[in-house]
Formats: sequence, C-alpha cells, structure tokens
Amino acid sequence: MHKKNTISNNQIKNLLITSVIGVGILSLPSNMASILDNDGWLAILVGGLLIVPLIFMVDRLFKMFPNKDIFQIGEEVLGRILFTILLIVIIIYTILTLAYAIRVFGEVIKGYLLDRTPIKVIIITMLLAACYLARAEIEVLGRMATMVYPILIGLIIFLVLLSIAEGDFTNILPVFNADFTLLPKGILISLFSYAGYEIILLAYTTSDNKKDALKYTLRGLFIVIGIYVITFFSTLSQLGVNQLKRRIWPTIAIANEVDLPGYFIENLDGIVLTLWVLIVYTTLGPILYTGGRALAYIFNTRSHDIFILPLIPLIYIVSIIPDNIISVYENMGIILGYMVIISAMAIPILIYLVALIKKRRRKA
Amino acid sequence: MLISKNLQENTENIKAIFKDCDDIVYRNIEIGKERIKALIIFVDGLVDKIVISEFAIESLLNSEDLKNNMENIRANIAEKASTQHLAIHDVKEEEDLNKVVDAILFGETVLLIDGADKALIMSTRAWPARGVQEPQTETVVKGPRDGFTETIRFNTALVRRRIRDPRLKVKTLRVGRRSKTDVVIMYIEDIVNEKLLQEVYKRIESIDIDAVGESTALEFLIEGNYLSPFPQAESTERPDAVAASILEGRVAILVDNTPFVILVPSTIGTIFQSTEDYYTKWPMASIVRSVRFFAAFLTVLSPALYIAVTSFHPGLIPSVLAFYVAASRINVPFPAVVESFLMELTIELLRESGTRMAGPIGSTIGIVGGIIIGQASVEAGIVSPLKIIILAVTTISFFAIPNYEWALSLRVIRFIFMILAAIFGLYGVMLGIVTLMVHFAKLESFGIPFTAPFSGLGLKDGDLKDTLAKAPLQKLAFRPKFTFPKDKRRYRRR
Repeated sequence: MHKKNTISNNQIKNLLITSVIGVGILSLPSNMASILDNDGWLAILVGGLLIVPLIFMVDRLFKMFPNKDIFQIGEEVLGRILFTILLIVIIIYTILTLAYAIRVFGEVIKGYLLDRTPIKVIIITMLLAACYLARAEIEVLGRMATMVYPILIGLIIFLVLLSIAEGDFTNILPVFNADFTLLPKGILISLFSYAGYEIILLAYTTSDNKKDALKYTLRGLFIVIGIYVITFFSTLSQLGVNQLKRRIWPTIAIANEVDLPGYFIENLDGIVLTLWVLIVYTTLGPILYTGGRALAYIFNTRSHDIFILPLIPLIYIVSIIPDNIISVYENMGIILGYMVIISAMAIPILIYLVALIKKRRRKA
Repeated sequence: MLISKNLQENTENIKAIFKDCDDIVYRNIEIGKERIKALIIFVDGLVDKIVISEFAIESLLNSEDLKNNMENIRANIAEKASTQHLAIHDVKEEEDLNKVVDAILFGETVLLIDGADKALIMSTRAWPARGVQEPQTETVVKGPRDGFTETIRFNTALVRRRIRDPRLKVKTLRVGRRSKTDVVIMYIEDIVNEKLLQEVYKRIESIDIDAVGESTALEFLIEGNYLSPFPQAESTERPDAVAASILEGRVAILVDNTPFVILVPSTIGTIFQSTEDYYTKWPMASIVRSVRFFAAFLTVLSPALYIAVTSFHPGLIPSVLAFYVAASRINVPFPAVVESFLMELTIELLRESGTRMAGPIGSTIGIVGGIIIGQASVEAGIVSPLKIIILAVTTISFFAIPNYEWALSLRVIRFIFMILAAIFGLYGVMLGIVTLMVHFAKLESFGIPFTAPFSGLGLKDGDLKDTLAKAPLQKLAFRPKFTFPKDKRRYRRR
C-alpha cells in the first residue's frame, strides 16, 4: 500500500513537465525567433541547461537535510523572519505568474474559441477550476500530472506529424547564423519558459524513492527542453522565420493551417486548444498550490487549502490590469522575467549557499 | 442474562421477549422415564420442520437409552442429549439468553431442558430461497451462467467451489443493530495486503446503523467519499468475477439477502473489466476494452459536444456538415441546449418506465417510446434528426459500460456537461473534464488511488496491460499492482 503524502518519482517527473509547460509554449517559438532568428532553439536549449545545476543544487540541499521539507530547511537555514520575507516575495511571484498565465490563457480562448464571452468570465472560471486542484494534496497533483502527461505527449507528436506532412525543413536553415551577442537576452527570456520547475522544491521530499528522484527530475527537465525545441522546429519549418516572428501564437497557427485527409474536423486549432486547456490547468494548479503552501507556512497552519480561494481575487485583479495582449507580453512579461530569476532561481540558490556556509562553519 | 436451571423461568423469559410474535413455535416435550420437561423453540418458516420432528423430537422421545437408563440422567442432561441423542449435524451449547434469542431469530432451533443451565442450539436453518440462476445484470455470451442468490451460504459456497484453497478465508461479521445482517469478508490470506484487510475490517466494524438492507447500502457506508457521485467499490452478481478478483488480491464483501457482492478496492481499470474479457482471445478482448472506454466518453460527452459544436463552434466541423446541421435545425424552435435537455430527459423517462415495467408492458413502452422519439418528434419539428442520432449513441454507449452503477453516475454527470457546454462551449466541456479528472484523482478506494492504472503505476508495472487492453494470460504473469498483493506472481511458464 502506498504511504500517505508520498508520490512516485515518475509522478514527480510528470509534475515537473506539466507544471513547466503551459501558456509559454504558444509564444516561445515566436519570442525566440524574433531575437535569434533561426537559432532560437539555441537559447531554449541553453536556458534549459541552466536549470540543470539548479536541480542538482536542490538535490544536494535535500540531501543535506534529510527528511525535512523546504519550509523546515528554509527556516533552519535563514531563520524564520528572513525566510518569511522571501516567502512573501515568492507569493507575489506566484500571484504574478498566475495572473500572467491566466490572462494569456483567457486571451487565447477568447480569440479562438469563445469570441463573444467576456474574458473576465473565462479567467474567473478557469481560476476557480484550478482551485479545485490546488486545494488537494501533492498526491492528487502527481496523479493529475500523470494523467495529463500522455495527452501532452500526444499533442507534441501530433505537432511533429503536422510539420512532417506540411512543413518545409529548409526553413530551419541557415543555422548558427544569428547575432550571438543577442544570445544572453534570448536565454534570459527563455528562462521564463522554465518557470514552474520550482514545484520540485515541494515534490522532491515527498518522493517514495529518494535515491532515484534526481534521475527522474533531470529526465523530466530534458523532456521539457525537448518539447520546447521540437515545438520551435516544427513551427519554424511550417511558417518560416519571417512569418514566425510576426505571429503571437505560432503553435496554434500551424494547427490551423492543415486539413486532415478525409477530414471530419475542419479547424484543428479548436481541438488543439481544447486539449491545451488541460495543459494550462496542470500549470495553474501546482503554482497555486505552491502559493497556498507558502501562505500556510507563514500563518503556521497545517493545511494549505483555506488559503487558495483568497488568492483568487488578487490574481484576478492583477490579471486584468494590462489593457491588451501586447501589454501583457511587454510589461507583465518583463516584470515577471525578473521575478522568475529572483524567486525561482535566486532564492533557492541563496538557501543553498547559506546552508553550505553554515555547514562549513560548523565543521570548522 | 444467563439461562437458569429452571425451565419454567426460562420459558417465561423467552415468551416475554417474543411477546406478540406469532411466528414463534413452542413445543413442549417430556424426556425419558423421569419425564424431564423440555421445550423446543423455533421460528416458523425459517427452519426445516422435518429435521426438527424426525431427528430432534423423535430421537429424544423414543430413545431407548433415555427411557431405561435410570442413573442420574439429570446431572448433565444437556451434554448427553447433544452427544448421544440428537441426530442433527450441528448442535451448540449456549448459556447466554440473548444469544439464544438471536439464534432463534437466525433460524436455529433451541432446545431447553429442565435442570440444565445450557440451551442447545440446533442448526436447522432452511427457508424459501431462490435457486442459483443466471445473473440479470452481467450476462455473458460465453462463460459460467451461475449467479449469486439472496442466501449468503450459497454465495460463499459458489466462491469456495472455485477456489479450493484453505487459505481462502471466510470471515463473518454482523452489521445492523436490528437487522443483524450477516456480512462475510472473503479473501486469500497470503495474497491480500494486510493494510487493505485491516481497513476493510475497520470500516465495517465502525458501522453503527439499525439495519443494512442491501450490499449497496453497506457500500455507501464504507466508501471514502460519500458525497461523490461515483461509487468507489464495485458490485457484481457473478461468482467467477468474485473468485477472479479475490485471486487478484482484492477483498469480497458478501451481504446476506442480496445477490450483489462488493469488491474492494476498485480502480478506473476494474470498472471497465468484464469477466468475459478473460474468456475471449486477447485481441478481441482488447478491442472491447477500448470500446468500453470510448463508450464512457460518449455517454458523458456526446450531448455536450453536440450543444457546444452547434451553438458555439460550427466552424470546427467540415463546412458541408455544418451547413447540413444548420439546415436540419432550421425548423427546430429551440436552441440546442433546450432540444438536448428535452430529449435526454425523455430517454431517462423511457429507461425508467421500461425498467420498472417488465415483460410485455415493458416492450410496449419501448415501441411507443421508439416511435415517439424516432419519428414523431422529428416530423413535428421539435428536434433535429442529428440530435436523435446523438441520443441513440449516448443511450447505446450507456449499455456498453459493464458496471451498472458507474454507468448511471456517468449518465447523471452528462447533464452537468450539457449545462457547461451551453454556457461556455468546448471550453466549458474542458472545464468539466479537468474538474472530473481532479475529482477522480482525489478519489480513493480503501486507500488505493482510484485512477491507479493511469496516474501512477504506469505501463511497466503492469496494470495498463489489463486496463485499456487485455494482454494474453502469459503476459499477465503478475497480479495487478494496485492491490499491492503479498504473493505477486500468478503464472509461471514451465
């Protein structure tokens, strides 16, 4: 029988993949192409590889403090007050990410599926649905991710098949021809697509087989990188670099352009988007869960579920601040880019470094 | 209260308890030369009267030994009667008056003898019972045709006949303060997971209710999330299904007075299994499995998709079809959602009246309903022909789901999906699907995640081989993982 509040490594892997891949996959190819032209995939790849040391670091951190979760470790290392301040930063980041994701989601759904429904209604309903997942325990998140994972993979395979059938692979060429002084900028923007990986900070300690957790987490990360790179290539091969730059959501655009032979379904973008709802859902849920857990730590309560619903109005208000989708990507996106680097990357590094220094000092 | 040595006193006590119970029979006899008074008590209708007359009363009255033997018969008359004189297969001694009363109510016959402080309980249970017949709900084309009956002893025997292993345990519990219903737990000792078994015991023993009517009622009392529309245990009428499940490491809960046996834990995989899958070659069985999953999707989603596509996204379907749909709906005065609700409620009505009315009247309902739905409503212009097709698909898919209770729950859920589709189109359908998926992920059946084959154990650990498809028996060498069995291997090639 499985133990309460433990999840398998495979579930951690799936949780990582489904949490990271969400709204970003729609715009990532176009963002990358507008900076690095045909070599956008390089930024995606390097950005992803930059997460690898972070994952090793998380692994080391949890090995340093066996059988403790991230909140206990943070408190022990940084002290309750400093850690609480950092957690507040993380909660703000959570609200911003969710607001950004839900706004983009709302715009996409409104644009492609429900043109007459107010975007506010779409945002609220989706947030409320995400609440249902976020209120659950980590096991449920893991199970849900595992159920959605095959659907995600199916969608990606479908995209690849489309590009094989319709794409022109000469569009990928020329490679290594971009202005590489822009590479750091590209990497910074691609890092944002890996936001959501921090769910492993919560999931890692619940693994039922901690020995192999690192292996599975890395595998998950590589699958994410693979999916992003594949998406980039398949949109590039179908649209060409100039078209790709101009589209906001090239990933939907390529689904729109095909007619299946002997077609029963005319516009595949509708179907792809419908399934994409699932993928966004499994991104929103875990991030919301993270926020709830952080609040539960700050207010020192045992269960996190009471904090999920109060977050919803905040997320909603933030999400409707930008006037239009361009503003979402330009203003919100830039703020969030920094927030991701601070909260999802800098804070874990800080905890790790302080823990390391404290340990050295204790030894000496 | 204990049995006293005085028969008079005992008789008065028992008669006081059974005041106004006219189905209780009291038979006074006198035993032997010394004319020791004795009383036989039983419930008329629950006992085999021939057994009582010929093998209890007859042998006590006409025993040469009792008539002639002078030396202190009185001393331990009860033991003597039991060991030497009663020609009945099972006789027990009991000192507690309350237990004696219980025994009478269970259909045993009680013999009270003057001067003995023990009552003799003779096993004489026999009541009008239905014989073993073919089950009504889970019929198979090929496979055993015996089904459970209302008598729990027959049922345990039907399972025992299939597993002749002393490690197959049959434990009886009693549930219900008033009904005192027998509940039997069956499992194989060295396969079943200890924690699962403890959980089953714990949940059944914690029930405090006056009466348990049917196994489904018991199921509702022991399942984890009682608010969920979905049952978290399975019930079956087929002994072969129970035997196979027990061999997989599951626990069967049999309840007296019902042919339905509860099987726990159940997962989304076991819900879609039918025993016939195991009597068919694997490719066919695999196709049938997938068809069932597809049927479940259709049951829940087809009316909702109809509403979503016709009212929100006609662009999704090919233009030719979209034009045809629009043309066929041109005379329909209602929006698709009203049309759908009208027809789906009508079919519910038909199903309900058809189930309650058996035989010729039932088929009349079918014909009348068929004509009204199939023809008249289209000709009258209240529904479009396409809606009729959707309706038929939904209804047929419903019957393709092997688990009846689950099929019913899915039918209920489809109304929610229809409302969501009417408000938000495909996005609403997706909202429904994600919520439903999370709900499934939250469900646990006796500590086992309900979505086990899809959400955790995965391909390698074997459960999917027997879920979406059915692998050949040789490839199913291990018991399914979701039950966490102690003895894992079931097949070995020699």
